[in-house]
Amino acid sequence: MSPMKLCVPGDKLCSTEDCIPGTGIYLRHGCIYSSLTGYVLKKNEGEELPVISVVRETETQLLPDVGAIVTCKVTSINPRFAKVHILYVGSTPLKDRFRGTIRKEDVRATEKDKVETYKSFRPGDIVLAKVISLGDVQSNYLLTTAENELGVVVAHSEAGAQMVPISWCEMQCPQTHSKEFRKVARVQPEFLQA
Amino acid sequence: MAAGFKIAEPLEYHRSFLKENCRPDGRELSEFRTTTLNIGSISTADGSALVKVGNTTVMCGIKVELTNPLVEAPGKGFIVPNVDLPPLCSSRFRPGPPGEQAQAASQFIADVIESSEVIQTEDLCIERGKLCWVLYCDMMCVDYDGNVLDACIIALLAALKNTKLPEVTINKDTGSTRTSFCVFDDSILIVDPTAEEEGLSTSHLTVVTDEKERLCVVHKPGGTPLSAEKLQECIGRATARQREIQKLVDKVVHSVKTAQ
Amino acid sequence: MPTDTKRVRGPEVSQSPTLFLCKHAAVLPSHGPRADGRQRDQVDVRPVFVRCGLVSQAKGSAYIEAGNTKLMCCVYGPREMERKDETDMKCGKLTTDMRFAPFSCLERGSWIQGSQDKDLSLMLHESLQPAVCLHKYPRSQIEVNVMVLENSGSVLAHAVTCASLALADAGIEILNQISGLQSDGEMTEETLTAGVRTCIEGCYKLYPVIQQALTKAVRRAAPPPSES
Repeated sequence: MSPMKLCVPGDKLCSTEDCIPGTGIYLRHGCIYSSLTGYVLKKNEGEELPVISVVRETETQLLPDVGAIVTCKVTSINPRFAKVHILYVGSTPLKDRFRGTIRKEDVRATEKDKVETYKSFRPGDIVLAKVISLGDVQSNYLLTTAENELGVVVAHSEAGAQMVPISWCEMQCPQTHSKEFRKVARVQPEFLQA
Repeated sequence: MAAGFKIAEPLEYHRSFLKENCRPDGRELSEFRTTTLNIGSISTADGSALVKVGNTTVMCGIKVELTNPLVEAPGKGFIVPNVDLPPLCSSRFRPGPPGEQAQAASQFIADVIESSEVIQTEDLCIERGKLCWVLYCDMMCVDYDGNVLDACIIALLAALKNTKLPEVTINKDTGSTRTSFCVFDDSILIVDPTAEEEGLSTSHLTVVTDEKERLCVVHKPGGTPLSAEKLQECIGRATARQREIQKLVDKVVHSVKTAQ
Repeated sequence: MPTDTKRVRGPEVSQSPTLFLCKHAAVLPSHGPRADGRQRDQVDVRPVFVRCGLVSQAKGSAYIEAGNTKLMCCVYGPREMERKDETDMKCGKLTTDMRFAPFSCLERGSWIQGSQDKDLSLMLHESLQPAVCLHKYPRSQIEVNVMVLENSGSVLAHAVTCASLALADAGIEILNQISGLQSDGEMTEETLTAGVRTCIEGCYKLYPVIQQALTKAVRRAAPPPSES
């Protein structure tokens, strides 16, 4: 394999007729320029033209976007919503913490009016959620857990032990065998931690 | 997966390492990070030093000026130490006037200078009641990765050694001090903490000793209590560290002198 | 004069001993080479040394040394916006802060930011703003902090170069690398255009250095991703 080409911002990569623009680049006067320092990557995705993008060490997705799956930690709850810190976007860790909100009506898809936030989350829980809106001036990112795969993945019981899920709405402490309510996610193996 | 664990449960992550008597960066509990020193790099300052303890970088510049001594202390000069933690060095600091941590650090350094008698302020007097030197020692953190106090003191010392007073030269390096910084995490003792370890620990302790291995300052602001044996252990480690640093400073000062 | 209670204070007045030295009045020679032997009216830039990615805590950082001028720049973010206002919800915000270390100039400066620092911060902001793809960072702010460690002229120009390097190092999307050069003196219209031309020429000379530093930093930070 030949060493991959490095480029710096402002480098002209090719004309728009040769490639489909991907990420880390911008268009100007019919040409594709790099907007990042990184390696030039050309991928053929079944179409006629390859997709050209500039990549650094890992994924370049830096900010939570609408539709992205995020991993977050619950910081506080009140009857109307839970506040969280977003730790991951997909599998990319965020360097700075962003705050998000899971409103009561976004906790689950059915029986929305019966949701009680303190029966769904507790501070310290690790939650998988999806971004539904970037929010407005007053609010933070709005998140939802209204899918089977979304919800609490890691939680600690009052005794301090890590609990195991026993149903979609309950988790059990392995030490005291007490049960606690959570909006439990049906965890996919790749998100399993510890 | 390990990385996920680290971000989601930082305390558990560190505990799992400490159980095995090592730390996430591969150091042992009582191991310091590599310390490097460079002096005289800033030509606009009268004395300067750059210290790196692992990633933590502190730069100290000394400016010498002339002033009148105070009426109540006619035979004394001034040393004005200030520590700055600019927003540049870590995302935890905001622009604007110095925060609590920077203020506490400045005061701590001032206390160390006074109690260790690194410089006798009497030595800075040129003419009693009329003229004396003032040493402005500005320590600036360029990269904040824990244990800044240690780095500040090393930088200050090295910069002082590098300072030459113009015209009237006065012998000033009398005593020399060394700090060691120990942190406790649930009664486990670690030295030279990184920023992350500092944030998670329950108590901090700083021990300052001078070159004759006398204790100058022991600083323990609150936190969980500490047994007498543990304290002894810290002081022992601090004196060992003092000798290491003394050697390093001497070596660098010497190499700079021979280079000139 | 307001007292500064947040720092250790020294005596109220003090003078630098250099004031008492008898020195020759520095007169800039009107022709011939400059004081440091460089040619005037030509692109004779001081040797430049650049490094990227030195500060562990920052997203991106750069250090530049040109002659005796030494400065550092760190970039943090994109992070959550501190103060939100209606106007910039769609795109990100760029903040710049430029400061002089107290020991950076011949005269000791104070810790308090003077108007000069604020002016420079603003000018730095203006030079960087057009180059950063802020629309790609909605709801977030990017912080650029510059610290002058030693000032021996052309600080703003090098700050611009350094900041754009740090931005590139941080992986912030920017349209182009920018570099700056400064030429000083009283200007008439012709000399101004000539000055600008020499500056642009000099900037071209800086590009290869910048490119090299950046590629080096990227190579060190990450091996090339496998083509898959």
